[in-house]
Amino acid sequence: MSRTVDAEERAAFAEGVRQAFGRPDADTALAELGWTDALAEWGGAAIETVFTEQGRARATSTALDDVLLAALGLTGQHAVALSPVGSRETPGRLGPDGLSVAGLASSRILGGTLVVVAGGVAVTVPAAALSIRPLGGIDPDAGLMVVEGSVPREDFLDETDVAWTDALAAAQLALACELVGLSRSMLALAREHALSRVQFDRPISGFQAVRHKLADTLVAIEGAAAGAGAAADDLSLAPLAKALAGKAARLTAKHAQQVLAGIGFTAEHAFHRHLKRAMLLDELAGSARVLAHELGEQILATGHAPVTLPL
Amino acid sequence: MELARFRDEVEAWADDHRAELTPPPQAESSLDAQMAHLSTVKRLAYDAGWMRWGWPERVGGLGGSTLLRAQLGETLTTRGYVEPGYYSMTEVLAPTMIEFAPPELAAEMVPRLLRGDETWCQGFSEPGTGSNLGALACRAERTDEGWRVNGQKVWTSLAQLSQRCVLLTRTGTKEDAHRGITALFVDMDTPGITVRPLRTMHGVDEFCEVFYDDVLIPFERTLGEVGGGWSVAMDLLPYERSTSLWHRGAYLHQRLERLLAEAPSGSLGAGPVGDAALQLFAFRDRSRNTQYRLAGGETLGPETSVDKVMLGTTEQAVFDLVEEGLAASVVAGDDSRSARWRSDYLYSRAATIYGGTGEVQRNILARRVLGLGDDR
Repeated sequence: MSRTVDAEERAAFAEGVRQAFGRPDADTALAELGWTDALAEWGGAAIETVFTEQGRARATSTALDDVLLAALGLTGQHAVALSPVGSRETPGRLGPDGLSVAGLASSRILGGTLVVVAGGVAVTVPAAALSIRPLGGIDPDAGLMVVEGSVPREDFLDETDVAWTDALAAAQLALACELVGLSRSMLALAREHALSRVQFDRPISGFQAVRHKLADTLVAIEGAAAGAGAAADDLSLAPLAKALAGKAARLTAKHAQQVLAGIGFTAEHAFHRHLKRAMLLDELAGSARVLAHELGEQILATGHAPVTLPL
Repeated sequence: MELARFRDEVEAWADDHRAELTPPPQAESSLDAQMAHLSTVKRLAYDAGWMRWGWPERVGGLGGSTLLRAQLGETLTTRGYVEPGYYSMTEVLAPTMIEFAPPELAAEMVPRLLRGDETWCQGFSEPGTGSNLGALACRAERTDEGWRVNGQKVWTSLAQLSQRCVLLTRTGTKEDAHRGITALFVDMDTPGITVRPLRTMHGVDEFCEVFYDDVLIPFERTLGEVGGGWSVAMDLLPYERSTSLWHRGAYLHQRLERLLAEAPSGSLGAGPVGDAALQLFAFRDRSRNTQYRLAGGETLGPETSVDKVMLGTTEQAVFDLVEEGLAASVVAGDDSRSARWRSDYLYSRAATIYGGTGEVQRNILARRVLGLGDDR
């Protein structure tokens, strides 16, 4: 956990965030709680709290737009385009005639404006100029839209010089925290089932094979949570945190699925929705597999392994 | 003393004194030489004041946060000046003495350990008592002259070089289990103690069998309450998983970078390197949080088994890479560099065994952190 913010103040904020994600309109609840003020004041620590809880509740919100706007140094109520699934490139490309867009956006895009980064420039455009459809695939209720199309230069509402890497790192931190929260939820589902499911005259939580799977899951989640906490204090560590969180989520899903066995394979049990959300989030802004490989290449090229924060 | 200032000053000191602090070549192959060098480093660090920060004044310390101790160990380990396993035994044994020894005894003895005048060991495991500490059988009987101890310990690290031992004995009945255990502080030159070093598979006489035959220990050497030895042991274990593990993380980082410098080009795959580096990063982040919890006065408990499991898997992942990148050295090399890599590789196989096996750590997490109830 980030160590930059007073623990008591932060615990109170976290409690408010938990309640916000229990309400049908999380965005309104987060706004009432002063989430963007917390983001401005605390930075990574606020991101860590909100997205861990969003993951734990398997909820959706448009808070990622606020994170990206802050990282790009922009203000307003715009949606911000993300790279498409499987990519970390800027979602926009600038040509002589205007901007072409291929990416993802939250439901905030329905409010009217979208910020699209292309090269070193953030272009604000009217959403009406673009084709927008809900993202289908494995997790259609993730609250994401596919955004495509071209916008002529005369329709640009604003252009600002930015660095996409800043936005990408902030997104990686948020997604890492969300994956940690999702993993904690999956572990909780598996734990409850292990305690209540009786076979051979005892709860299956009494079998060491089950216990050790869940213990290994806990270790992976705590490692990922610690990595996310370090990245909350130093955004340059965000790709490592995202890789760890993706790995932890996949290990958690594997073990939780096995412990939940038959019931976890049904559509009526909540588990599959967590699994599918985790698979989607792992593929956004760099999957664990890709980021780990890239980290390895970078280490081999420089001769240096990443260090964590100093004590 | 503020941490950032301490770090700057101790790192400058460590760099300025490189010549005296760097181990001599013979320390690579001789345990005696390695331990003699450890004493030298501790003495230099003590005289310069560094070794005294983070320890209470009543045992010769200068006070201040325990983070200062974590930083000193990191500074010395990162530069290859000390082997963290031996260096960090202080982190386990000194807090036990401070907490449980009569105050005059702690004030007399702890400075000797900090200054490197003495080596101490920890007599816990027995031939029939590995993971199940509550079953220990080494017996201490009350006599007019003090405790009379009879029994055998095993896996006692560095007993052959130690002046003192924190010894767990059974003073109650076998049926009392963990309630009938008492901790004693033993002079290793007391008549009746026989030490037999065990040669390990990595070629070091690190562990010993220790035999106690009618060994008389004064009552004043009792640590904590009679029958309260279990709390002494439980109090010590979180230390074993906090500051010591921070030092070990620094060591693994240093060995990984050494490997990157020595491995022939093309011998390491990007995937395994990235995975091992991620594990090490997560382990150090976790351990860093634990240092802050300890320094903040929190009582560390069963959740530190997470740290220990992470150490075991990380250490083995790093040395699996060593075996991949330096295969010819590890398997067939006869020079001193190869011998060091081979020894470190083989020692890493113990990382999931010593200090509570990986299985015991997972049992602790399942029962006490996840609340999965009893496993029988």
